[in-house]
Amino acid sequence: MAWEFTYAGLAERGVLLDLNTMLAHDKTFAAELRADSVASMYETFTYNGGQYAFPEQWSGTFLYYNKKSFAEAGVRPPPGRWDQPWSFGEFLDAARVLTKRDRSSRVSQWGFVDTWAPYYSALMFGMNNGVPWSEPRMNPTHLNFDDAAFIEGIQFYADLNNKYRVAPTASESQSMSQTDLFTSGHAAMALGGHWRYQTLERAPDLDFDIAVLPTGPKGHAARSNIGTTGLAIASSSPRKKQAWEFVKFATGPMGQAVIAETGLFVPALRSAVRSSGFAKAHSRIGNMAVLTGGPAHAEGLPVTPAWPKIVALMDRNIGPVLRGSRPAASLTDGLTPKIDEVLRTP
Amino acid sequence: MTPIDAAAAAVARRRGPSRRRARAGRIFVAPNLTAVAVFMLFPLGFSLYMSFHDWDMFSPAKFVGLANYRSLFAEDPLFDIALRNTVVYTVGTVVPTVLISLAVAGVLNRKIKGIAIFRTIIFLPLAVSSVVMAVVWQFVFNTNNGLLNIILGWIGIDPIPWLVDPKYAMASLCIVSVWRSVPFATVILLAAMQGVPENLYEAARLDGAGELRQFVSITVPLIRSAVSFVVVISIIHAFQAFDLVYVLTGRNGGPETATYVLGIMLFQHAFAFLEFGYASALAWVMFAILLVLTVVQLRLGRRRAAQEERSWA
Repeated sequence: MAWEFTYAGLAERGVLLDLNTMLAHDKTFAAELRADSVASMYETFTYNGGQYAFPEQWSGTFLYYNKKSFAEAGVRPPPGRWDQPWSFGEFLDAARVLTKRDRSSRVSQWGFVDTWAPYYSALMFGMNNGVPWSEPRMNPTHLNFDDAAFIEGIQFYADLNNKYRVAPTASESQSMSQTDLFTSGHAAMALGGHWRYQTLERAPDLDFDIAVLPTGPKGHAARSNIGTTGLAIASSSPRKKQAWEFVKFATGPMGQAVIAETGLFVPALRSAVRSSGFAKAHSRIGNMAVLTGGPAHAEGLPVTPAWPKIVALMDRNIGPVLRGSRPAASLTDGLTPKIDEVLRTP
Repeated sequence: MTPIDAAAAAVARRRGPSRRRARAGRIFVAPNLTAVAVFMLFPLGFSLYMSFHDWDMFSPAKFVGLANYRSLFAEDPLFDIALRNTVVYTVGTVVPTVLISLAVAGVLNRKIKGIAIFRTIIFLPLAVSSVVMAVVWQFVFNTNNGLLNIILGWIGIDPIPWLVDPKYAMASLCIVSVWRSVPFATVILLAAMQGVPENLYEAARLDGAGELRQFVSITVPLIRSAVSFVVVISIIHAFQAFDLVYVLTGRNGGPETATYVLGIMLFQHAFAFLEFGYASALAWVMFAILLVLTVVQLRLGRRRAAQEERSWA
């Protein structure tokens, strides 16, 4: 299984087989796959001219929201289609109304929680303020931490807990994970991906639906990210043919239909996402368009073999911003040169 | 048979069994030696070899000479941070460990009823894996509902973000590390204390020395070699800290670089960045530092012992 963030390092080292070599002998499947794929997802694994994996699922992020909390507070539910954006301001207003405190001013319900990795989520807010993480997406030499709008989005995310107090800080979510806060009804909105669905679906007394992420003042449209995993074949595999048969099955229409019916993932192929099996497996979700339209409204994250180093740098430098001890603007001079150096000399 | 022949035969008879015994000895030692060769000498040699190479595990290693060492000392700003953190962690662990375990061993060395129970309790942390320990301490350090902050709350201290704030993260780490190292140090010191002859204490009591005086003037000087052993072992352990840090404050030695110690740096370069050559160079630098520290300490210890002998004579 290959992950969008880490496969580039393996591809660069020649560990993964270029699947184009297999596709060349399997023209029918190649055509079938091409026609049924979402281009941006398929191309996520196209690196330096080779195709190193086929996507098997879409795991981009969106919002889960507690329908009961919204109804009780009289707040209009967030939009359920990617072409109907809502603004950072509307999101903040909702989160403010939905953050409830008891008499001792302890929070009994948070407006917003984050079930993903905070520094990744912060960048999602930067991206929803109209700036991609990097340009170009593949093998970038620069990430946009010096773009004012990107920084503004990150700052907005950090302010959610430090300034507006509508989301728990790292300390406040130590005793109960942010996912648990949402499943137990102590949070009205939660950022996450489909990988949380099984947990939430099983939570007793939780009536939830899903919605799109808010868009910043400089953003043009609501965006998710191309989170995806794919299936790859080791270039040293002695059983390439058998592996190829399995990859074909799992990432082709048949396997994808099976995935759709189980409800375990959002399948990568369009036919499977639109299948009745997929809808049936998600009968508790009203806004299915968030899932079915997700891949087409998602932007890619940088693909570079230097990703592990970038993550370490981001973790170290975005931490103080998220804790509120430094403004997001500090990333422009503090993080950008370090990242650029790593990207130039991985 | 001449007398000479008889003597030679006797020697041969005697040499026979001894030679056989030697062979048996070698056979018995062989598995151990093989294990040492395979799991110690080979990795050591291999990592030294790798420290002069650029190797990512997948592509063939490329010889780079001293480049790994050069960039470690001259170009990597994180090496200084990691070294500083490791020194703080080592001092913050070793000093309290020695003081606390001396006190604890002193108390456990008394002959009172039920002492065996106390000894068992004290030694319990030794049996707990450090990962389990770290997970338990995570609950203790929890900012809002952690045991430590609840207790501090009773005396009017506001919740401290132990593992979240860089200011407190290293202190938290040291607390856990001390808690983990005290039992082992106590075992060693207690064993040494029990070897101190009782008549010395009797003489001291006759001279009117109190308990504390006896401890400072008799017990501590007489178990000095055990103390220095504990110090050496604790320094080596603290210097190589990894598992505790990894579980308590994460794989990047956060928050920020507050707990970024050499062990974390090594792991990160080897297994996250796949820079095995660089990580090997770092491992050898750590080894060199520890070697120098240990040799210096042993020298100092020996000199002190010699001085004392002279002063007694």
